[in-house]
Amino acid sequence: MKKPPADEPRDDLTVTPPKTWAAGVPAVVHALEYSLAQTSPKDTAVDLLTMNQVDGIDCPGCAWADPAPGHRHRNEYCENGAKHINDEATTRRVTAGFFREHPVSELARRSDLWLNQQGRLTEPMVKRPGSDHYEPIGWREALELLAGELKALDSPDEAVFYTSGRVSNEAAFVLQLFARAYGTNNLPDCSNMCHESSGFALHETLGTGKGTVSLQDLHHADLIFLVGQNPGSNHPRQLSALEQAKLNGARIVAVNPLPEAGLMRFKNPQKARGVIGQGVRIADRFLHIRPGGDLALFQALNRLLLEAEDARPGHVLDRSFIRDNTSGFEEFAAHARQASWDDVLAATGLSRAEIEDVRDEVLRSSRVVVCWAMGITQHKHGVPTIREIVNFLLLRGNLGRAGTGACPVRGHSNVQGDRTMGIWEQMPDSFLDALRDEFGFDPPRAHGLDSVDSIKAMREGRIKFFLGVAGNFVRAAPDSAVTEDAMRNCRLTAHISTKLNRSHTVCGRTALILPTLGRTERDHQAGGEQFVTVENSMSEVHTSRGRLRPASPHLLSEVAILCRLARHTLGQGPGNIRWDAFEADYHTIRDRISRIVPGLHDFNRRVARPGGIRLPNPVNEGVYRTATGKALFTRNTWQAPDLPEGHLLLQTLRSHDQWNTIPYTLDDRYRGIHGSRRVVMVNPEDLRALALSAGDRVDVVGVWHDDTERRAEDFEVVPYPTARGSAAAYYPETQVLVPLDSVADISNQPTSKGILVRLERPAR
Amino acid sequence: MNTVEETVEIDVPVRTAYDQWTQFACFPRFMTSVKRVEQLRPTVTLWVVGLGPLRREFVTEIVDQVPDSHLTWRTLGQRHGHRGEVTFRSTGEGGTAVTVRISAGPRGLTAALTAVPGAAGRVLRRELAHFKAYIERQGEAGGGWRGSVRGGQVRPTEAEPPRSRVPVWPVG
Repeated sequence: MKKPPADEPRDDLTVTPPKTWAAGVPAVVHALEYSLAQTSPKDTAVDLLTMNQVDGIDCPGCAWADPAPGHRHRNEYCENGAKHINDEATTRRVTAGFFREHPVSELARRSDLWLNQQGRLTEPMVKRPGSDHYEPIGWREALELLAGELKALDSPDEAVFYTSGRVSNEAAFVLQLFARAYGTNNLPDCSNMCHESSGFALHETLGTGKGTVSLQDLHHADLIFLVGQNPGSNHPRQLSALEQAKLNGARIVAVNPLPEAGLMRFKNPQKARGVIGQGVRIADRFLHIRPGGDLALFQALNRLLLEAEDARPGHVLDRSFIRDNTSGFEEFAAHARQASWDDVLAATGLSRAEIEDVRDEVLRSSRVVVCWAMGITQHKHGVPTIREIVNFLLLRGNLGRAGTGACPVRGHSNVQGDRTMGIWEQMPDSFLDALRDEFGFDPPRAHGLDSVDSIKAMREGRIKFFLGVAGNFVRAAPDSAVTEDAMRNCRLTAHISTKLNRSHTVCGRTALILPTLGRTERDHQAGGEQFVTVENSMSEVHTSRGRLRPASPHLLSEVAILCRLARHTLGQGPGNIRWDAFEADYHTIRDRISRIVPGLHDFNRRVARPGGIRLPNPVNEGVYRTATGKALFTRNTWQAPDLPEGHLLLQTLRSHDQWNTIPYTLDDRYRGIHGSRRVVMVNPEDLRALALSAGDRVDVVGVWHDDTERRAEDFEVVPYPTARGSAAAYYPETQVLVPLDSVADISNQPTSKGILVRLERPAR
Repeated sequence: MNTVEETVEIDVPVRTAYDQWTQFACFPRFMTSVKRVEQLRPTVTLWVVGLGPLRREFVTEIVDQVPDSHLTWRTLGQRHGHRGEVTFRSTGEGGTAVTVRISAGPRGLTAALTAVPGAAGRVLRRELAHFKAYIERQGEAGGGWRGSVRGGQVRPTEAEPPRSRVPVWPVG
């Protein structure tokens, strides 16, 4: 165990060649190295050996599904998961003394890395108006302060309640219940910023907002597309599923602006071939696509499939599936046939031969799965792109059959479950009616604010109260300067958190830190020791139970904090809500959920079974709950982004040594970048055209149609095989470049990909 | 590819026999070589079968299914692969002739069984006899799935079957 750093880590860049494979022995070494720097060998062992096991801790690192009970490894986690869980289990503590020593204004100048490395929050803290210090506050006083602010608002709609995807189903349900009982649907969440485009596109075309595949589908697919995602760093356990698929004979096509290590080869450290052998090749084909070119790619593929059907009628498309299960085919086909090759090649940066080769792969495959992540959703045309992917799947009946389907790969471990629990600003009346009938109060019906609109409302003074449950809203949100101004404009901001982050330092006039239990910790309540539940990316709902002693005796669980806040604000009720019963025993929450959320009947009994509950996907039952009752073909248009000479399209991304907004070190091992995160990766040919070379210092300047200058200062140029005309730099450092108004059509999701920038040599 | 086929006549109507057959998770109750069945979705089931000390697990996909008529399946993956078909035919006397045909690939437990002359037929005959004894004693099916499957895709019998009533709102 090491002490927290007193000083910022020294920024000292070295660059080595990017790795061509992921995981292997180095992943084990790095995971253990970080874990043992944070906590004891005993706690490391307890965490790791119970992680992702039946009745163990669900890894908060990502939402990838666990293998079925009986098929899990003794070590069922990845490097990043191991780091993440022990980052939470750290023995380092942030105490009242720490806050006496460090004023808020100083903390606001600290890096994300430094703040996180200070350790676990241990007692409630308050920053009073005019003060530059957090000071201790008792739980009762803290909650009365919050409740008093809520009761003093002119309207419940002057408050927002933000949720991050780490939050359990139980806490999420209680939060949305409280917000609605209080009187608002202002429930922004991290989903608004990661897969909102997926939800809207899938809901419109297939009638469900969730992915349709299970691990078995991946294992038995003939062809898997990995589009706009980097499984090696962001969902490493997906590599095990891909490895299995490859061993079963699958082919994989990776589509990405960067050739990531995890897309090339996987050395499974749990298998001999991964330790001493060459591992398994992942992508058989890599399409080095320009950012945002995916819609054009799938439209071109769809055109090619239609033309192949013309040449061999009855042998390419699944005509009976299209006839019986879809609508809008003729209009779609007429539109897709008009896709211009010149436009497609310009948008994708690919050759026609490359796309035709992929067409041939598709024609040889009877079972196709398409996986995607934020390389798709965070584009302006994220929704139409996913709709075009659905068109692609529909053409050959690649939905509803084993080994086929749509697979949005989600990041936060319970981001899907939180939505299932009603954390959404636009919940349908059916859910609100069920809340009304169960609890005996009438929830508000007007839609609330999502993340982007919440920031706008805070900036304009329409929102005065912000409560964040988990997460790091200030860093996760776009347009950092605007978001920070918005937060500072609030009368009160409060965060239910495990560790220190920038959202605690950029705060309202009054600010509260409400420290909470982590996933790793035992949760003792009046009704006995509790477990919580989560839902993974494949709609499996299961338990998570911590094993460690809490970081401090003064921590409350998220459920307890929310129930107490509700009691202080609303008393018992309204209706027949019993907040104290919820806090005492989470079974009582799940009983209520079982009567409100369809599919979770008999929740307590079923979720306790090994593996939990698998929520069916209607698509796999032959049911399409769309406007027409059938899967919808759609016509999607796109416009290649304007890329003036001397400009680049930037995509923000995470490093390998990072979890969401939190970097663990300044390294990005797979990309060969060490000792600094202030780097901008640019294709060497673009660098030549820009008269820049490796090691040059530049400011990355955003180009947007308002008068605001968005500048990320002092970045070092690194030649990197990004697609021509594009650049990549780390999130959240470059969130400052994402304009708040730059959102995906339809989903209102911030566009952290395809940002028009120029690189300027600083005048300093 | 080796193929075995066995028929058993059962003294219950076709609908009863068919409905009981669709309750795969109940198979371990009466089939001694079926240890566990998990229905992952209407067309996909995970099977654990065993003979003596041997245990094999495989996943099957129902390819085609027509109520009161027939059901065809295949295993997913290359190992232990086989294809199968079960048909239900009225005997005209209120009974049902249930015929099972299994074609095994070159490897796996089923292949090994079908390679031994008569072995697979004996196992299949025995298990069908178990099915006959079970459903005749029960007299009615313990459930029934009336959807159909074509090309591996489900054709539901109603617009919104109970299992599909799950949250469908967008997930971000």
